[in-house]
Amino acid sequence: MTADVFEGLMAILQWKVLGFLAVGVLLGAIFGALPGLTATMGVAVLTPLTFWVSAEQGLAMLLGIYCGAIPAGGIPAILINVPGTPASIATAWDGYAFSQRGEAGLALGINALLSAVGQLTSVFFLAVAAFPIARFALRFGPAEYFGLALFGISLMAGVSGNRVIKGMLAGMLGLAVSMVGLDPMTAFPRFTFGSPAFLDGIAFVPVMIGLFGLTEVLAQISDRWGRIEDKPAKLGRIWPRRGEWKRMLPASLMGAGIGTAVGAVPAAGGDIGSVIAWEQARRISRRKEEFGKGSIEGLAASCTSSNAAVGGAMTTMLTLGIPGDAPSAVLIGALLIHGLQPGPLLFRDHQPFVFSIVFLMMIAAIVVMLIGLLGAKPLARALRIPNPWLWAGIILFGTVGSFALSNSIVDVWIMFAAGVVGFFLRKADVPLGPLVLGLILGPMMESNLRRALILNRGDWFETLTSSPIIIFFLVATVLSLALPLLRRSKEGAAGRADAADG
Amino acid sequence: MKERKKIDAASLILCGGFLMLGSFLTISSFDLPSGTAGYPGAGFFPRALGITILMLSVILALQSLHGRMITEFRMDHSRVVAGVGALTLAYLLSWGAGLFALRTFVFILLLLRFLDQSWKTSVIVSAVLTGSVTLAFQFGLNLSLD
Repeated sequence: MTADVFEGLMAILQWKVLGFLAVGVLLGAIFGALPGLTATMGVAVLTPLTFWVSAEQGLAMLLGIYCGAIPAGGIPAILINVPGTPASIATAWDGYAFSQRGEAGLALGINALLSAVGQLTSVFFLAVAAFPIARFALRFGPAEYFGLALFGISLMAGVSGNRVIKGMLAGMLGLAVSMVGLDPMTAFPRFTFGSPAFLDGIAFVPVMIGLFGLTEVLAQISDRWGRIEDKPAKLGRIWPRRGEWKRMLPASLMGAGIGTAVGAVPAAGGDIGSVIAWEQARRISRRKEEFGKGSIEGLAASCTSSNAAVGGAMTTMLTLGIPGDAPSAVLIGALLIHGLQPGPLLFRDHQPFVFSIVFLMMIAAIVVMLIGLLGAKPLARALRIPNPWLWAGIILFGTVGSFALSNSIVDVWIMFAAGVVGFFLRKADVPLGPLVLGLILGPMMESNLRRALILNRGDWFETLTSSPIIIFFLVATVLSLALPLLRRSKEGAAGRADAADG
Repeated sequence: MKERKKIDAASLILCGGFLMLGSFLTISSFDLPSGTAGYPGAGFFPRALGITILMLSVILALQSLHGRMITEFRMDHSRVVAGVGALTLAYLLSWGAGLFALRTFVFILLLLRFLDQSWKTSVIVSAVLTGSVTLAFQFGLNLSLD
């Protein structure tokens, strides 16, 4: 293993790889700092640029974007109360109050420092926990993989808030799209409408560019057209004092733990992690009344947890092949393009590459912190770039990037169709996350279920109870779908009772 | 007086779409080999999926009719959204006709003008964006875009 660690480190200690990482972090910081441009959008739109370079170089850039965008999302959250990425929602709750009382610089400094703490903690978790998880996952057979895929999709629907049915339908739509092309077992063409262009199936990356690029642009035009954003406030001091460090320590440690754990749950990313951590920090705080009004503990918890989710999400993605959040879903597509299949076999066959990822994320966390501390002022200035310029850039890069995938206009049309459909689904309050997960997990789910049925001579009961692992996944699937529905019906009953009393 | 229940129209339209998808998958799956219980064919999964989508759509339709959860389908600035969509569509339709850089410059220029940017700004931003995409993809990555 030591040789693999060394090989992994050597593979990234090249000026080209480090250069790609630096460019990625910078681009990520810009994507995160500009409200409306998200980490997922950055990774999706810029993935095509990495086709022509080695896996290490390409992944260095994409990881840089991912690791750079999440902390930078806190910048507009603090300065103008508009979260740059969904993960920085809770950062705005306390961060903006810092700006209002003239301490924007301090909030930005805390954001930069604790983002690095969160990312480094979760990367440590990745380094320690990923190998045992992957070794355990090597025991999985087709039935267990089917159970895992089913559980992944159900979780995504479960975290869709009060939109469980819509979330499930979105997941089903993703599964339906994943069936286009040759049947994975018999190579029989399905839903190709007689066109050879669809025999290889619907390419994943153009769909992602459409869903997270074009959809986002159209939704922003609809939601924010003509709105005048606030001008960022003056910064002031950046470095926290010793007493402030003492107050932040418990909240940030808790945030790191919660963020990593929540990030590791499929589909639950930094947005959910930071909200949970903020709430927990409020519960244990002696100064509960300050939360939401510029609490340093609240800010510490949200900044750390939103970034700790990055390592958690990467752990699930690398070990099981299931994305922990939306950016890691796009990263799966990027890895596949470079001939690397995320999952336990990656840890058996490409160990040095896994260590390269760990080192890249560590370096990225430190670069991100430096950029956050030194580049706070220029990034704050980036908030003044008019939205129409960004929208035009995203549409253009998305279109050309989709074409670049395989020099095919079909991919561009797929991107456009995904963007338009995604826009209407979003407007109808349908979560897009389950759709992506269905698209990724569809082939895994179908081929493993059919393989398991063949192995058990078509006996469903035998297939679904063949091991404790599959039983665990099935029970977990039922619970993850039933609990939100039960919670909703309870809330509905409570609401009706209140209305009757009132 | 008894209060009338609201109907969730947006979700009902969504249900219609998913009902169509479910029906399409179920019906089309009969044209695919079903296989046997011990060796499921290519039509097995689409049929199961189609039926599940149909069932979920019916549940969502019932919820929508009872007004359990009203979706606020707000389509603000629909003309601007439609305009941007139409311009992008026109750009895609023109793909392969003429010089990439010229087509792209015109597209971005029109898009920015449509989004209320001044002529001067539109020309500069279009030139910068077209130049960077052409440099990155056509010259940097050797991709033929014309």
